[in-house]
Parts: sequence; structure tokens; C-alpha cells
Amino acid sequence: MAEIKIVAESRTAFGKGAARRIRRDAKVPAVLYGHGLDPLHVSLPGHELMLALKNSNALLSVELDGSSQLALPKQVQRDPIRGYIEHADLLLVRRGEKVTVNVPVVLSGEAESGALVVTETTEIALEAEATHIPEAVEISIEGLEIGTQILASDLQLPEGSTLQIDPDHLIVNVTAAPTAADVEAELAQAEADAGIERDEPEHLDEDAADEAIGTDGDAPAEDGAATDGQ
Amino acid sequence: MLIPRRVAHRKQHHPKRTGAAKGGTSLAFGEFGIQAVEGHYVTNRQIESARIAMTRHIKRGGKVWINIYPDRPLTKKPAETRMGSGKGSPEWWIANVKAGRVMFELSGVTEPVAREAMRRAMHKLPMKCRFVSREGSDF
Repeated sequence: MAEIKIVAESRTAFGKGAARRIRRDAKVPAVLYGHGLDPLHVSLPGHELMLALKNSNALLSVELDGSSQLALPKQVQRDPIRGYIEHADLLLVRRGEKVTVNVPVVLSGEAESGALVVTETTEIALEAEATHIPEAVEISIEGLEIGTQILASDLQLPEGSTLQIDPDHLIVNVTAAPTAADVEAELAQAEADAGIERDEPEHLDEDAADEAIGTDGDAPAEDGAATDGQ
Repeated sequence: MLIPRRVAHRKQHHPKRTGAAKGGTSLAFGEFGIQAVEGHYVTNRQIESARIAMTRHIKRGGKVWINIYPDRPLTKKPAETRMGSGKGSPEWWIANVKAGRVMFELSGVTEPVAREAMRRAMHKLPMKCRFVSREGSDF
């Protein structure tokens, strides 16, 4: 992945008041640390950082006081409602250094008909060079049969990456989808337990249903809704 | 319906509904989800009703996760009763959902199907909600 340049400003004021002032100026308070160095407190431009962090494990080239340093996002705090970035922890890395990162799993293709594909693990931990972190690990599920399980050891990892999780860890599970009759029976039982009545023509009494059918094609639903609504 | 097997205290105080969720604000299991935009009490009947609405739409295609649990009893005094004489009897089981919480998740279906299934489920829930997906949210 290409390096994304981002210009940082050194931060001298701390605490929630200072952090809120920074956020009001459309910037994000952040901290840079790693390699046993003292942490550097910086503020980053909010929009550029948001665009950069749309890629998983984006490699940032942070320009600070005339020097440039490579960093990876270690932890990003977002507002749970509005989604804007509140704070970012950036981990300093060097070219050629091996880092352990979580890489998303992406499925491609379609399993056989009647199969239910569940991604049990959506991200896997890989060790890779900081400058060559794969964007995603693609798994083809084309034509997979029911009962197939893809384990971590079955993955075809990008070149230069090594697995950091248990090789027997389940990634994708292909199971048989429940039949329509099973689903219907389960829902009917659940509705009965919860005391939920559905707006269906079968709830009409026989006379009302006969009248409705005799008048118009659209009438049963309208009559049914009116009857149930009362 | 979801009901705790036993509780430490049969009658509890009302939990606070203000504030945002501290955790569970992103998708953990599925590809799509319903996120609460405001805080509210959600009863076990509402959870079950939303699950049924969702499952009925996706039919046999997907898998549904429920991330909230109605573990708190809410009491009610009988109608036309004078105040006093102690706390009412447990009437509902509720989950105290804070803003930002992802309540339901879904996988194994296409996005249009998931959107429609979750739209139907959202109508069963008492608060304003929104659809979120792993690819990118609507907001």
C-alpha cells in the first residue's frame, strides 16, 4: 500500500478543553509513539486523516517539524453516533520492520445452492513488513460444498506475510441453510409464544373471507387489514 | 422470548437512558447491522418481534445475531391504585440500549435484502435506528 502523506502540528496544550478546541478547528488530537521513544503529541487534519483511515492499516507518512516518520494506526477512537474521529494512536514503524496487524477477510464467489456461508473470523492477525501490508486476505468460496470449513491454515497468504493466529482457527463455515419449512415452523412457534398475530387473510372468519373473495381481487387484503385493525 | 433464568434482585431501579454506548458500537459478527441512534429501553417482546420480522424477510438465506439482552425487570403498579404500599410487580424485561449500540447483526444475504429486512425490524423497535454495514455506513 502506498504511503499517505499527512502534515502534523505539534501539540502543547493538553486536556479535554484543549482537545475540544483542536476538534473545533477540524483537526484531530493524536499521539505518535514506538521504538522506546517519548510519545509525540500532535494534531492532524481531520478530513485528510478520515480519508486515509478508510483503508485498513493505512501507512501514514507523518510530516512533523520538517522531518517525516512512518506510522501505522494503532487505535482510532470514533464518536459512536456521528462517526468522526476523536483521537488516533499512531505507532511509529521503520521501513523493512515486521509488524503484526489485523487484516480483513474478504470472500469472493458463491458457494453451492442451499449453503449458508458464515464468516466466523472477519479479521486475521498477520505479520508483514510495515511497507507491504496486504489490504485484505481474499478467500474464494466458489462452489464450496455444505460442511466445508476453511481454517486459518488453509488460507493463501500474500507473499511476505505469516500467520499469527492458531492454524486451526475457523475462518469460514459453510453450513446447510435451514429449509423454508423449518424457518416457517420456528417463526410460527416464536410468534405463538410471543402472542404476535399476523395480518393475514387466514385470520378472517369464513363469512368475511367469502364476501371479500366475491367482490374484488384487492378487497381481501383491505378487508383483512380493517378487520384485524379493529 | 428472552427472559433471564434468575436475577439477583427481583425489582430494580430504572437504569439511566442518557449517554452513548461504551462498547458494542461496531459490527462484531455479521456484515450488516442495526445501530441505535438514541437511547431507549427495549423489551424482550420488541427484540423478538424485530427478530421475527427480519427472519421472515430473509427466509432461509442468512444468519441473525442479537447483541442485546433484556436482563432488567421493569415494574408497574396496577391501574387505579393509590401511591405508596411499596413497589409494583415486575411487568417487563428490558435491555437498556444506549445510543450507538449495534443491536442486531445479519450475514449471508445481499445488501438490498439486508436493508429491507432491517427496515422491517426497525419498525418494531422503540427508538430511531440506522442501517450499518461493514463496507461503510450510511452516515
